Amino acid sequence: MPDSDLLTRYNYDEFVPAKFGQWLNFAASPPLGGLAPDFPLWHLDGSETSLAAIWSHHTYTIVEFGSFT
Amino acid sequence: MNALAERFSERGVGSIFLYTHEAHSGENYPHLTSMEQKFRHARALRDTLGVMRPILVDALDGACHRAYGSMPNTSWIFTQSGVPIYKSDWTDVHSLENAMEYVLNVIERRRSGERLAPFRVERLDFRHQDQAAFYKGLERNGPKAVREFRAAFG
Repeated sequence: MPDSDLLTRYNYDEFVPAKFGQWLNFAASPPLGGLAPDFPLWHLDGSETSLAAIWSHHTYTIVEFGSFT
Repeated sequence: MNALAERFSERGVGSIFLYTHEAHSGENYPHLTSMEQKFRHARALRDTLGVMRPILVDALDGACHRAYGSMPNTSWIFTQSGVPIYKSDWTDVHSLENAMEYVLNVIERRRSGERLAPFRVERLDFRHQDQAAFYKGLERNGPKAVREFRAAFG
C-alpha cells in the first residue's frame, strides 16, 4: 500500500523551502564505483522495465533525472 | 542534450530521461497525484519540450529518484554492469560531453595495451545559466510557479 504521507511530501504542492528542501540529498546518493541500486521504471506506454534493464543495453548509459517543471 | 545523445549513440552510448516529480508546479502542470498524470506530464516533456531520448517514468513516490539524491536535474553515467562512473548534481551538456569523451578514450587506451586503474576525482564544473529561459519555463508552468520561485529566491 502506498505511503500517502510520502506521496504528498514527495509530490509537494508548493515550492517553499520547508517542502522542497528535504529532497535535496545529493550527498547521500550512491557513490561512484560500486553497484548502484535498481528500481522499477515505466515506459510511456505503461510497460514496466527497470533501471538495470536500461543500463544493461549499452556499454555506457547517460541518465538525466528531471521533469517538465 | 538531444544532440549529445545522438552523437554518442553512434559510439554505443545509451541515453534516457528519467521522469521524477514537479519541481515548480503551476496551474498548467500541477503537482502529481497519480501515475496517469505523471505519464501525461512526461508525454508533454516529449511533445512540448522536444525531449527525444527515451523517457522512463519513476514510481509516484519517487523511489528511484529519492535513492539517487532527489535533486531536480542530476545526470549519471552507468556502466553496463550498473556501476556509476559519473554523477553531477546538475545537468550540463558540456560536463557530460567531457566525461563521456574521457571514458570512451579509456576504452581505446586499454585496447592499445595501457594498464589503467580507476580512481576517484572531485571537480567543480560550470554550467551556463539562462535566467530568461528559466523564467519562460516557470511561466509555461503557470503564474503560481513564478510567484513561488520569486518568493523563495527573490
